[in-house]
Amino acid sequence: MSALTFTLKNIPAQRIDCSPLTPEELADKSVAEMAAIELFIGNSTGRVDSLFVISGDDASDIKLVNSCDKLDFIGRNMTAGKITVEGNVGAYLGIFLEGGEIEVTGNSDVYTACEMKSGKIKINGNAGDFVGGVRPGRRNGMTGGTVIVTGNTGARTGDHMRRGMILIEGNAGDYCGARMISGTIAVLGDVGAHLGYAMKRGTLLLAQAPSQGISANFNDCGSHTLAFLALLFASFSKLDSQFAQVESFSRVQRYAGDVGGIGMGEILVKI
Amino acid sequence: MIINGVTIDDTFAEAFPMKGTRLIITALNAKWAMISAQAFTGFATSVIACGCEAGIERELDPSDTPDGRPGVSILIFAMGGKSLAKQVETRAGQCVLTSPTSALFSGLDNPEKEIALGQNLRYFGDGFQISKMIDGKRYWRIPVMDGEFLTQEKTGVHDSVGGGNFLVLAESQAQALEACEAAIVEMKKIPNVIMPFPGGVVRSGSKVGSKFKALNASTNDAFCPTLKGQTKSDLSPDVESVMEIVIDGLSKEDIHKAMKVGMKAVCNLGPENGIRRISAGNYGGKLGPFHFHLQEIMV
Repeated sequence: MSALTFTLKNIPAQRIDCSPLTPEELADKSVAEMAAIELFIGNSTGRVDSLFVISGDDASDIKLVNSCDKLDFIGRNMTAGKITVEGNVGAYLGIFLEGGEIEVTGNSDVYTACEMKSGKIKINGNAGDFVGGVRPGRRNGMTGGTVIVTGNTGARTGDHMRRGMILIEGNAGDYCGARMISGTIAVLGDVGAHLGYAMKRGTLLLAQAPSQGISANFNDCGSHTLAFLALLFASFSKLDSQFAQVESFSRVQRYAGDVGGIGMGEILVKI
Repeated sequence: MIINGVTIDDTFAEAFPMKGTRLIITALNAKWAMISAQAFTGFATSVIACGCEAGIERELDPSDTPDGRPGVSILIFAMGGKSLAKQVETRAGQCVLTSPTSALFSGLDNPEKEIALGQNLRYFGDGFQISKMIDGKRYWRIPVMDGEFLTQEKTGVHDSVGGGNFLVLAESQAQALEACEAAIVEMKKIPNVIMPFPGGVVRSGSKVGSKFKALNASTNDAFCPTLKGQTKSDLSPDVESVMEIVIDGLSKEDIHKAMKVGMKAVCNLGPENGIRRISAGNYGGKLGPFHFHLQEIMV
């Protein structure tokens, strides 16, 4: 069996909702049935075969080739299997993901891993705003799983994040960890302004001191050796990420906040 | 059966089902990991009065522990899952949480049956405790005066066997002790077992029942050398001292292995060192379903 491959024929003028193209939705479907699936394209619909060339037969291993930033909702509600995307992707990649793995060779747009529950997403490029975040009006962002971004992330990474891990090999934008309820965000590069704004609980682990400093809403708790970091770095060693190569450290400066709220969050900066 | 001049009785050790778990205690150095482990496993020789049986399985190199620090592996057994959970929690709270630089982890995964490890200890953090999910396991970081106490939330429970045993019958107290010490050295090399009594050796082996209604165990008078003329003794005139080694293990196979190496070490000393017989605590099937036949083990 070979990977079930959808090769985009042309760059679409409108955005395409790719949520039906998941392993569970396509399992046990013939090529004709897959071709006949209607996808939302802007405010209309169109058949899959009008947009993609279909090849391969393993629905548990899906490939999207020639992808572009107009393809939204890839891997929505996926529970198992793997989706590999060659190219960029649009918004809401892996929204509500419950299991399985999504890997993108390019960049992703806003709301990557939005309200993700479990599984793994790897972006081999940059990700837009609200990685692991929450839809407007909802209470919980990402509640489990792991997101790896090899490049940079936009603003409000981990907005309302409740559980899980976001690992950023590059830089994170402004308001990283804003309104975070719990979970872990680790950043190897720099972070933007307003780090941990309105953060309730959770951990922001920084491999370098933020160039824009720590907000006054976080209180310095001193330098410490924290045993859990050894376990955290040991768990990184299994990942296909720069985090697996980074030298483990457990000596950190600890800042607690946002004291404008309950102040139970923490920023840990390597020292 | 006679091995190196030592008689192996045609009897069996009678053991019973228990619930057990393995815990790993780490600390800044091996000394403090051991201190914490010794505190945890203190007063845990027999379920008869201690509520559990616990012991140190082995010392662990930093490369073998979850947090990369020196550690000690301990095994703890109780008669049921609930009593095990109670013992683990109280001992962890009083002996490990309190011990400087310590951290506490599960050494036994069994997602189907788990008991609390740090799940309730977290409340000591008075709201400042922090949960961390790492590799699918939940840990608790509890702020304490020397930094943070890190503990895993749960530990797995394993169906285990308690009360494996053999008796060393010698011409003198010193010779019985020397033989038991030699046996313990070898038995400690076997994984998944502990010998919960002081130094691994018990001099007050018991029988099931008592003439006093309040007691469900009493001295094993048949093997008490001072009662040779007063009771239905199992001792010959040349035996002046009997000591017992009790073994708890995660499986009957583990106990089997430990008994074999222990009895072999005793036999190696032979009659020239005063060792006469090896027997076992056989209670006529009243104690438990696991029977370890000495002669079958030594074949």
